[in-house]
Amino acid sequence: MNMAAKNSDVHLTITTKSGEHSIAVKRDTTILDAAHSGGIEIEATCGGRGRCRSCRCKMISGSLPPPSMADTIQLGTEEVHERFRLACQTKLIDDTVIRPMPPKSESGHQILAGKGSTTAMAIDSGVVKLPISVAIPTSEHHQSSDLEEIFIALGDLVSTQDVALGIIRDLPVTLRKSKGELTATLFRGRLVDVEPGDTSSKAYGIAFDIGTTTIVCSLLDIASGEELASVGMINPQAPFGGDLMSRIAFAQFNKKNLAILRGKVLNALNDLIKQACKEVGILPRHIYKIVVVGNTCMHHILLGIDVSYLGLAPYAPVIRAGLTIPASELPLKSVPNAYVCTLPILAGFAGGDAMACVLSTGIHKSTETLALADIGTNGELVMGSRERLVVCSAPAGPAFEGAQIRHGMRGAIGAIERVSIGEDVTCGIIGDVKAIGICGSGLIEACAQMATAGVLNANGTIRRKNTDELPLQIARRIRREEHGLEFVLVWADESAAGKDITLTQADIRQLQLAKSAIYSGIVMLQQVMDIKSDEIHKLMVCGGFGNFVDVASAVRIRLLPDIPVDRIVYFGNAALMGAQMVLLSEAQWQLAEDLAQKIEHVALAACPEFQDLFIEGMNFNSPQPHSVKLATAAAK
Amino acid sequence: MSEPELEIPENWESRVPGDWEWQSLWTAVEEGDNDYSGERVQQAIDADIDARVILDDGLFPGFNLQGNRFSEQLIFIPEMLITARAMKTGLALIRPLLAAAAEKPLGTFVIGTVLGDMHDIGQSIVTIMLENAGFNVINLGTDVHPDKFIETAIAEKADLIGFSALLSTTVYYQKVTIDEFKNSGHRDKVHILIGGAPTSQEWADECGADGWGKDAMAAVILARDLMSESRVAWS
Repeated sequence: MNMAAKNSDVHLTITTKSGEHSIAVKRDTTILDAAHSGGIEIEATCGGRGRCRSCRCKMISGSLPPPSMADTIQLGTEEVHERFRLACQTKLIDDTVIRPMPPKSESGHQILAGKGSTTAMAIDSGVVKLPISVAIPTSEHHQSSDLEEIFIALGDLVSTQDVALGIIRDLPVTLRKSKGELTATLFRGRLVDVEPGDTSSKAYGIAFDIGTTTIVCSLLDIASGEELASVGMINPQAPFGGDLMSRIAFAQFNKKNLAILRGKVLNALNDLIKQACKEVGILPRHIYKIVVVGNTCMHHILLGIDVSYLGLAPYAPVIRAGLTIPASELPLKSVPNAYVCTLPILAGFAGGDAMACVLSTGIHKSTETLALADIGTNGELVMGSRERLVVCSAPAGPAFEGAQIRHGMRGAIGAIERVSIGEDVTCGIIGDVKAIGICGSGLIEACAQMATAGVLNANGTIRRKNTDELPLQIARRIRREEHGLEFVLVWADESAAGKDITLTQADIRQLQLAKSAIYSGIVMLQQVMDIKSDEIHKLMVCGGFGNFVDVASAVRIRLLPDIPVDRIVYFGNAALMGAQMVLLSEAQWQLAEDLAQKIEHVALAACPEFQDLFIEGMNFNSPQPHSVKLATAAAK
Repeated sequence: MSEPELEIPENWESRVPGDWEWQSLWTAVEEGDNDYSGERVQQAIDADIDARVILDDGLFPGFNLQGNRFSEQLIFIPEMLITARAMKTGLALIRPLLAAAAEKPLGTFVIGTVLGDMHDIGQSIVTIMLENAGFNVINLGTDVHPDKFIETAIAEKADLIGFSALLSTTVYYQKVTIDEFKNSGHRDKVHILIGGAPTSQEWADECGADGWGKDAMAAVILARDLMSESRVAWS
């Protein structure tokens, strides 16, 4: 190398289909920076950090710089020999001609992007697993150690010398038995696993969505992004309170009870991890990254943080920032080598789950105003676009889960999930068995059908006057019992227990409170954003429950705003999808941190106008809502 | 359970001019027609009908009907609120006349939602109901510190204190507030009522309250009953 030439310019020539561009830059500039300075776009999905292959290019002529570690990891030795390099990693040492050649199927993948979206995401999980050859110390004069030799082999991939004691303890035997041929795993530049031989293909991660009612666990191949297993269970904290507030009340000013709740969820996570690993036939030690999303209360309990004041106005969380914690510290004993990442909390009860929904629905990138509603015991609502986003938490309570409903049950076998009312009542039962009770989606449809049939008034009252105007088979289902008015959905002879299954006036009142919490929350966000219902370009209904809700019924009973039904789409488990995205992409993790600072929280209880909206929201829609009118018009 | 019915005051005709009718006001209050209830009460005042008669014969029947329906869940919060507001509009017009006629309030009631709780609807319904029933109500709003209840009770020489809690996490503060009344030495001078969705008679007994109202109507009846019970007088 000629010292005089050190600061002189070199010429980079980029050949593309549209021609050649020549750029003069300082020596040692990366190809990527050089291209960008000359106005040539080379895509760098990972942000130029050597963690994806999108900036791959072929060195046509000029000196071929030695491959960096990232080149070898991303492109493989074969491509490196064929003069492929990553533009972000390769520094120019003399005049060079290159051709950008992004791989046709850059490792970004679409399974996580949700329905109708085509956003690809580069995989960059922060986990790097690669085979290395380590020199075993031979000379006593040589001041070195087993660990230092590994660090030398890993080069600049290592950003911290801080290593878990467990790894160091096993190191001497591992190193010598394998004759220095090892596989090292790094997470965010930290050595987290050392194994004999080549196990580089075995790197996995887990995304958890801890809901108030259910926990879902998704096991992914962290290199390919493929989901290998998905398992779930009822949150074992449920016996200590169906909704967040009663859960908090149980642990409030009582450390022992907080420890009980924490123990329940930790056991559940360990069990689900083992179950998922067993299903796929992998070892839990190969799980290196776990992303957990959940509302603020679930987050705090998992981490053993005191929730006493979370249950009291102004419902302030103890910490908002996302955390990265060794699994052994949590402790999740089944995954010794993993790190657990939590997403940032937005405010109050809008936790990492709301953040995850934002990421997966892409509402933060939208040019049009979108809304998303995660309907559950504790609903989360987000509205806006890339310009501005607002969020609120809507405490619907457990009515949608079938709780506090006389014959309510979860959406399991035997639950009434579909109801249609004509001359008589017809119910669809999950599993086609005799009915046991009614689940949330059944409740919504029943009320919508009862309202349309004239059994329910717009204010939610069961009709008790002039019932002779109703079809005979309907009229005889309305009756007055000791506990008040009720409507028989299923007669005793068709029910599993041999008793009538009814909806009572009190049940309908519970539904009215629950659905108004969601509805008035959406209207409140509209007021804050100053947008009308027809300006909502798309309303994405998320969460496991949303899948089963009949959209027209939801609009009919004023659970969702009166916008054309074709603008209301079911998005899936957006919170889990967001967790999966963060699992696979450190860029998304960073984005979440940035977005958490920008999204505005609307505290419903503190808005004076919210009370009126909530009261108004308790009523049902007029018999001809917008969507029905449109459908009728279309039919004509 | 039977359908609540409009209770027509006995001999109401004897207390009004010959062609006067109350039915339209009963209906207006029942249906929450705020404009008409104000209009009709003003007409009654102009027709020299006694303020007490307007209240008892004109406003209460429709209000009580809805109150009973609310207790049986035949109507819900929105309907109860508009009825309570229609009642309040009429009451506002006759209150100065009642005061002039030296009609004393039934008692002074200090109300609010406990510390840590922002729920407003329940206690605002109870407030209107108590005012309508003739109590002097001091509403401290939501998220009220125990000290604030005690200060106000002392300043107003309150007869009754009521606090609601709508969250299972805040019922705790009902007990704390009662304990603070005990510590301050003023517990025996007031009757304490509690209410709110997560509360119960058992909880009222446990936290040391004098009564529990399952709904707004029950709270009013309870408040009336407690007024006749003895307690230590404010000095």
